[in-house]
Amino acid sequence: MPCTPSPDDPFGRTPDVERALVRLCAQVLPVWARQLANSRSQSETAVAEMLTAFAEIGPHLDMTARQSKQITAALTEGQDGITQLARACDRELEPVLQQITGPAADAVRRVITMVHKAVDALEEISKPFEYETQMVNLQVDRMYQGFQYQDRISQMMTLLHNDIERLCFVLTLPDVGLEDLDHAAWLERLQSQYVMREQHDLHDDVDEGQPSAHQGEPGAQGDRGMTFF
Amino acid sequence: MAQTILVVDDSASLRQVVVMALQGAGYEVLQAGDGQAALALLDGRKIHMVVCDVNMPRMNGIEFVKAAKAIQAYRFLPVLMLTTESQEAKKEAGKAAGAKAWMVKPFSPASLLNAVSKLCLP
Repeated sequence: MPCTPSPDDPFGRTPDVERALVRLCAQVLPVWARQLANSRSQSETAVAEMLTAFAEIGPHLDMTARQSKQITAALTEGQDGITQLARACDRELEPVLQQITGPAADAVRRVITMVHKAVDALEEISKPFEYETQMVNLQVDRMYQGFQYQDRISQMMTLLHNDIERLCFVLTLPDVGLEDLDHAAWLERLQSQYVMREQHDLHDDVDEGQPSAHQGEPGAQGDRGMTFF
Repeated sequence: MAQTILVVDDSASLRQVVVMALQGAGYEVLQAGDGQAALALLDGRKIHMVVCDVNMPRMNGIEFVKAAKAIQAYRFLPVLMLTTESQEAKKEAGKAAGAKAWMVKPFSPASLLNAVSKLCLP
């Protein structure tokens, strides 16, 4: 149905349409607010669950790292280490080799070679433990940082939720004044509550890669913002 | 004996991340969900450092630092502000209140532990 433009409405809507729009917003916005609040709550629960599980894994990872070091040490260091066993074989059998010849000497040499190969193989086995432990520690650090994004998301969602609730409240006010509906003042108030650079950038519709009015302030990329006073 | 660090943040998950990093490095940790709850823990017990969020309900981080510094026994207590807040004015307010350092989340555990080792009282 075509609308008759209202003199005050740049979109050309009739008062009836305006009223219907307000009614629609008053009905829809609380639904959005509830969905947003629940999403936030669910994401917090998910992160809390992951953190609890992670806290249980942590000591086991530490134990694995310690055992890995112990295995490496047992293989390579000390009097009873495997490397020492190879050296002891060389030391003990070398004088014997000086005194024997023929098949007996060949047999001893073969035994020494076998011992050396076994030692090399065991040392190779210990290397993946070291590598895996380093890799696990690296990923643990990344997980610590990943979990923290929940806090940023939660703050952004809380602010939106509160603003939607405020708008719902204003929409249902019986004696709402034009000053309550000043969009510039509304947006300014919203922006004044931002704490992160990406909130400002999203508000200003600044695409990633474009210069930000809040350039230099740390964003979500990590802890480049460490300052000692 | 391990040093005790008070962690103040209204986000339970963030608190847990900080606590895991600190406990993993051998620190004892006390926790509070806002400035007011944290202030209640400043009851004469030995605390070597505070890691504190800025935006919190009831009492924010800046107000907490001011209140903590007003208590004679805790006037030299080092405070590291750990926050998503990146505005220079807020950082200056933290400095003026008496905070010793400002770190923006998300942080790496190594950076946090490095800062804590520099600031923590013996």
